[in-house]
Amino acid sequence: MQASRARLFKEYKEVQREKIADPDIQLVCDDSNIFKWTALIKGPSETPYEGGIFQLAFAVPEQYPLQPPQVRFLTKIFHPNVHFKTGEICLDILKNAWSPAWTLQSVCRAIIALMAHPEPDSPLNCDSGNLLRSGDIRGYQSMARMYTRLAAMPKKG
Amino acid sequence: MDENDLNSDHVNSDTTVDDDDADCYYDFFIKGDDPMDPEDAKSHQGSGQKYTILNQADMRKRQEDVIAEVSTVLSVSGATATILLRHFNWSVGNVHEAWFADEDDVRKRVGLLDYDKQLSDVNAGDRASCGICFDVYPRDRIFSVGCGHPFCRECWGGYIRSAINNGPGCLTLRCPDPSCSAAADRDVIDMLALSDDDKKKYSQYLLRSYVEENKKIKWCPGPDCEYAVEFDGGGGGEDSWDVSCLCYYSFCWNCLEDSHRPVDCQTVSSWLSKNTDESETKIWILARTKPCPRCQKSIEKNGGCMHMTCNPPCRYEFCWICLGDWYNHGTCNRYNEAADVEADKNREDAEKYVTKYTHYYDRWAANHSSRQKAIADMQRVQSMQIRRLIETQGKAGYELLFITDAWEQIIGCRQVLKWTYAYGYYLPENEHTKRRLFEFLQGEAEKGLERLHECAELELNQFLVDYGRPSEGFREFEVKLKGLTMVTRKYFEKLVRALENGLSEVQVSGSEEIGQNIPMTSAEG
Ligand SMILES: [Zn+2]
Ligand SMILES: [Zn+2]
Ligand SMILES: [Zn+2]
Ligand SMILES: [Zn+2]
Ligand SMILES: [Zn+2]
Ligand SMILES: [Zn+2]
Repeated sequence: MQASRARLFKEYKEVQREKIADPDIQLVCDDSNIFKWTALIKGPSETPYEGGIFQLAFAVPEQYPLQPPQVRFLTKIFHPNVHFKTGEICLDILKNAWSPAWTLQSVCRAIIALMAHPEPDSPLNCDSGNLLRSGDIRGYQSMARMYTRLAAMPKKG
Repeated sequence: MDENDLNSDHVNSDTTVDDDDADCYYDFFIKGDDPMDPEDAKSHQGSGQKYTILNQADMRKRQEDVIAEVSTVLSVSGATATILLRHFNWSVGNVHEAWFADEDDVRKRVGLLDYDKQLSDVNAGDRASCGICFDVYPRDRIFSVGCGHPFCRECWGGYIRSAINNGPGCLTLRCPDPSCSAAADRDVIDMLALSDDDKKKYSQYLLRSYVEENKKIKWCPGPDCEYAVEFDGGGGGEDSWDVSCLCYYSFCWNCLEDSHRPVDCQTVSSWLSKNTDESETKIWILARTKPCPRCQKSIEKNGGCMHMTCNPPCRYEFCWICLGDWYNHGTCNRYNEAADVEADKNREDAEKYVTKYTHYYDRWAANHSSRQKAIADMQRVQSMQIRRLIETQGKAGYELLFITDAWEQIIGCRQVLKWTYAYGYYLPENEHTKRRLFEFLQGEAEKGLERLHECAELELNQFLVDYGRPSEGFREFEVKLKGLTMVTRKYFEKLVRALENGLSEVQVSGSEEIGQNIPMTSAEG
């Protein structure tokens, strides 16, 4: 408990310094609870998520960083490895490939990389996974773009 | 004199059965070449030299031995040798081969760095920041597995504990840095683990890996048993895979099922899956069901009335006998021969099949439970009856070993007898001579075993009563039980060999001939 708190506090300070360094990620710690974080990440360019801002929610366990944080999308996203309803993410480093040397910041970076490179073979969103696996890239992209417009972009007017 | 006469009385009345008598008695049934001295049979059957039972200490010893061997030959540390052996399924040969073919490749695959070029230059300076807690420490509080990635000792301890609690994956522990594949070996665990409990768990996983990944060793599948069995012989073919563990569980080392001579592992697996297979019950249903003439779902006749109503949503009402519409058919005494014969044929086949299977299964299962009971009985005999006999008959413990011998024999024979029913099930229907012979031999085996079982179970009881002096009949009982044990053992040994040879070496052409021989043996007795 003490160790995880100390480590999160260090990450917090690091985040303040890095804010300018990485404009794609904005990590925010909950005011009253250092184990709850949110992040805003920019959809990577040249992907159907480009132009969208996606919100992630982090729940950090007491055994952190020996145990990985739980992360999910709060913003709706059409992606093979993200559960469409719950926002749950299928990413190995959040499970068995976790290393205590990862940080919340580097997890965000890994999620941005996942958005650019979906893994259709371990789908949490079957519709999206099937489109990609059947080679219907345009079908996948137009669906993903539509949801990016609907859910991840500021409403006009 | 008829067959029954022999089987019920011959041995019972002849309390002076000895080796020679027994030989000729059974040789009339099965003539197998028997190079074995009867005195050796038990050791051959029981604790042959082809396998070794290992306790935890034996396993550790063996594990340490191979580690030491690899460590010496490759001039690497014991911990490094351990990583290599684990990677190559504990085969010393495979480690050596791979290492001498391409050491660099092997090092890369298992995450071994060249320890000569260690961290000296990587983290210059007397302080370093830990990659997990991000705190800055003096050099002596920081540790790295040779790759130079610095982590403090406390964080290493937590990292190791969390890996150990996650299971056997801790045996391939790597540097915590996600981009680094340097292995954290067991010296690292020993040095940095937070508690002795963690170290103990780790070494337990290491031992388990030695047994489970080793092609020559398997855990005994007996309930709660902690022994493992190393099999040295080739097994298969002429050789038996049978293993008898110190926990008294006997099993086939190859397929890990109960010992199953005279049938082979393949037959056992088909038989066991058949026993659990639902399709068997489906066939049973077929014999008592008919398909609904409208929706084709099978429906079961449950009452005496011929008026059938199909299940919802179909609800079609029809006649069980002619399958015609119930309301449009009046009477059905018109005989539709073609349709009927076809349908009845299928049902008949199914019924016959089910009856055959049930016949063999029931007897297989009966011998199985009889064996279970015999195991329980033998424990009771060992714990109570023997002690009682020492008092009532004034015998020493070793003088009563013949009683436990008899029970061990019963337990072993029940096992064999049980599997002869799977054997019988798969014996081709059209091999009439073989089938008749098989059934005769099986019948004899069964009768012989019943005699022994009865003698050990019931006749013993009279000697448990304390009359203040040894009973007169006890000596006779001893001779008889010893005789029956020996005779039954030899018969079953020959039976097993004959069945394993597909009954091909049996020197008789059919059961008639054997039947004719019986009065002759009987006359001798
Ligand atoms: Zn640390
Ligand atoms: Zn490293
Ligand atoms: Zn055992
Ligand atoms: Zn087997
Ligand atoms: Zn129907
Ligand atoms: Zn009818």
